Amino acid sequence: MAYIGSAVSGILDTKLVAGKGQYTADVSLPDMGHMAVVRSPYAHARILSIDTSAARQHPGVRIVATGAEIKQWSKPIPHTLNPSAFGGKTADIYCLAIDRVHYVGTPVAAVVADTRHAATEAANLIEVEYADLPVVIDAERALEPDSPLLYPEWETNELMHVRFQGGDVERAFADADHILDDTLRLHRHTATPLEPRAALAHYDDRAERLTLWVSTQAPHPLRTTLANTLQMDENDIQVIQPQVGGAFGVKIPTYQEDPLACLLSKRTGKPVKWIEERTEHLMAGGHAREQTLKFSVACKADGTVTGLKVRIIGDVGALAAVGGWGMSYVASFVVPGPYKIPNCEVDLSIVVTNKGPWNAYRGFGKEAASFLMDRVMDRVADTVQMDRAAVRLKNFVPKDEFPYVQISGATLDSGDYVKALQDVMDKAGYHTFAEEQQRLRAQGRYIGMGVGFELTPEGGCIPDSFIGGYEGATVRVSPSGQVTVLTGVTSPGSGNETGIAQIVADALGVPLSTVRVVQGDTQACPYGLGNWSSRSLFMGGSASLYAAREVHHKVLRVAASMLEAVPEDLNCEQGRIRVKGQADREVAFNDVAEYVHKRAFDHHAFDMEPGLESTRYFRMGNIHHVPDDKGRINTYPSYPYAACVAVVEVDVETGVITLLRYVTVHDCGTVINPLLVEGQFQGAVAQGLGGLIYEQLSYDDNGQLQTGTFMDYTLPTAVEVPSVEIHHQEVPSPYTPLGTKGAGESGVSSPFGTIVSAVENALAPFGVKIHDTPLTPQRVWRMIQTAKNGNNGGAKA
Amino acid sequence: MQTTIQLIVNNTPCEATVDTRTLLVDFLRDQLDLTGTHLGCATGNCGACTVMLDGLTVKACTILAADVAGSTVTTIEGWTQDARQSGDLHPIQAAFVKHHALQCGFCTPGMVLSVQQLLKEKPHPTEAEIRHGIAGNLCRCTGYASIVKAVQEIATTTSLSPGGRGLG
Ligand code: FES
Ligand code: FES
Repeated sequence: MAYIGSAVSGILDTKLVAGKGQYTADVSLPDMGHMAVVRSPYAHARILSIDTSAARQHPGVRIVATGAEIKQWSKPIPHTLNPSAFGGKTADIYCLAIDRVHYVGTPVAAVVADTRHAATEAANLIEVEYADLPVVIDAERALEPDSPLLYPEWETNELMHVRFQGGDVERAFADADHILDDTLRLHRHTATPLEPRAALAHYDDRAERLTLWVSTQAPHPLRTTLANTLQMDENDIQVIQPQVGGAFGVKIPTYQEDPLACLLSKRTGKPVKWIEERTEHLMAGGHAREQTLKFSVACKADGTVTGLKVRIIGDVGALAAVGGWGMSYVASFVVPGPYKIPNCEVDLSIVVTNKGPWNAYRGFGKEAASFLMDRVMDRVADTVQMDRAAVRLKNFVPKDEFPYVQISGATLDSGDYVKALQDVMDKAGYHTFAEEQQRLRAQGRYIGMGVGFELTPEGGCIPDSFIGGYEGATVRVSPSGQVTVLTGVTSPGSGNETGIAQIVADALGVPLSTVRVVQGDTQACPYGLGNWSSRSLFMGGSASLYAAREVHHKVLRVAASMLEAVPEDLNCEQGRIRVKGQADREVAFNDVAEYVHKRAFDHHAFDMEPGLESTRYFRMGNIHHVPDDKGRINTYPSYPYAACVAVVEVDVETGVITLLRYVTVHDCGTVINPLLVEGQFQGAVAQGLGGLIYEQLSYDDNGQLQTGTFMDYTLPTAVEVPSVEIHHQEVPSPYTPLGTKGAGESGVSSPFGTIVSAVENALAPFGVKIHDTPLTPQRVWRMIQTAKNGNNGGAKA
Repeated sequence: MQTTIQLIVNNTPCEATVDTRTLLVDFLRDQLDLTGTHLGCATGNCGACTVMLDGLTVKACTILAADVAGSTVTTIEGWTQDARQSGDLHPIQAAFVKHHALQCGFCTPGMVLSVQQLLKEKPHPTEAEIRHGIAGNLCRCTGYASIVKAVQEIATTTSLSPGGRGLG
């Protein structure tokens, strides 16, 4: 195989590095209007009235809309994941708030004007009268009976309650040598890709057709959703995804602004462009992570974990249609991760509060489960006085027990967790670190090493949703032998177009440069579910492989007839088809392609279906939605993982943490392109590190966001992120044709547990125990002071 | 309020009427269609809007278009054009491609311009100097490792002969 496994550069890189990428904001149409959105300054209020008269008269204004009009013009936006399908509550979400706002940033009105300046000016002239309502920003408070209610008709703030249970938990606790409890808190942060969201809607009145250019990960589901919301035929809508400047989950769903721009284009008969401001993104683009994770663990004196009780409270902010609450569900689904703990129960409350709605972010709840399980293992190790890595090694699912079904139904596919952890310990110098640590401690420097392990279920497939476990692709060969691959998956900068091109080039035996991958156009590509959950290469790539094989089969059949051989004796490399072992008997791939198109009735092709094109769909064989005898379903087909070691230094005078090393052994099955896989992993670690130490969406008691710009929501720079040492362990997936597993998301989860463990290790002389994130200098400094004063219960900033 | 400015953009003299509130980044993108300069934050934090103003990198969201009258502005488009000989990529861009020092490409034009500024000032930077040199440009995708690698390679393989092609 010429390309699979090789470190080919991204096929779009040459264009992007010259500034020639065309992102949604770069697309313009004649006479387009600009949309500005008016957002609620209150976290919880009733809308009493909206006066738009001054805005409507402002020069250049084309249209003004409020919830009242929107309700006449459109339907609610279908939920990406409807909580009611999981036994939860639900609410209708329109493009604009109808009569109540639930978080600062709720869209309440919109203006379209000739210029962006005019739109903003007019938006400022809209007078909204609010009656403010009591605010609840803390999920545990929101669960109390006398809490203010966001959706009074629910009579509770609990969106959903979920329980997973297996084994005999009470028995395990009764027989335990040790029982320990802890409460962990993860803080709120977000993906915030560098390209803000953007949309350009054009309703063509003559053709009665809508075209939407949009920064999205999932064009086809978006089109279906738009058809619903706008009450149009799906056939009359085309969604085009230009180059996307990063997404990381937040661009999966249909946002309110997408149908909003379409509606206003339809009403004005002219194109409407909207570009999100960073502040809008941080307020309303979707949040993640904020959860309380309580656990009680039963173990034996030898470190064997025999029972686990987990209580998760997910603070998902207000309800939106984007389905971000599902991350808390997944957090509970993944417990107990890579460990064999048959006696286990998880109790989950997903709770709404007056903060920004959750939306998908890389990790999708798996990071919470990973953090939880890493903390469980560290606590057990400390209690039984064993090495932290040794306790993990003792409790891993053994490599000969796959497929292994966890209590939730999560069916772990394959792997060798023990070897991954042992290898990473060797590579990181785990066994000799203590000497170095002692040496530096004598100089007053505090370094620490931590271990962690992330299990990252991928390719999620949720019943009755567009989160599905299949994908489609078309492979088309032109008369000149050029190859086009049209995929249902998309690439928001993650590089799968390059990996897919490699797979197809190998399957056809043609040069990579002759393969063009087309993605993100509902008019051109087969219906597909888009990019998320690391699915693009292992599902979209598998569909592309199937289609390419089918075309290859036809090419060989014609070539065999030309060469007077049988197809089995031919091979095709770099566009030359040869009889094996006979260099002089060959025909060019291009000539065969031309022949098939021009001489369908001639004797080498007359008995074959014409054309060199195939559309194939691939489905994962190990998803099941019919409950087993214990009522479990499996919603994830692929379980890549990473064993990690972190080395940190903590400045005990300032609380500043420096990540010195991050070493990993990562299994994503067969690696199609190490350059791309490593790039993804490195980027994911940077996001995990950012989330753990630098980034925070913090709210005051009135529900006002305190960190609404990049001045105060601080992303890590090149100074803070070290180069990760990445090693591959390739245990092929038994469920994909090339052995690929999900890649791309992995790396974002492990920093939480691994770095926290390293910081605790560095601060062991003070006895610091970490329960809460973020690890900002101020909070770390306070933890040190508190511990010095004899209380190691963690610190609240 | 509108005002008329004259300036040189990518070696071409131009005259334009701008709203006095218009940021340089918006002027370049919306009025001159130079969309290689990106807008990521509008608060001077992300560096996606980096361009060269009179030979030095600046963040074009922190400057009003009206204030650059009489200046010379170079964007990624112009710089790429200048740097190219016979259609090849500039060594910085070639190194970015080789090491896949970009994923979505949104930060990349700004990052490339900051790297050329860094290498002009320090042709052989240490890793720490590279990291500090690009700290004004956020990348949400790569985690920077591949960018650092690309810059390290250029710094060790490309000679900056005065009057030659160099890295300007
Ligand atoms: S857009 Fe100018 S620094 Fe971010
Ligand atoms: S490559 Fe996406 S932000 Fe840098």
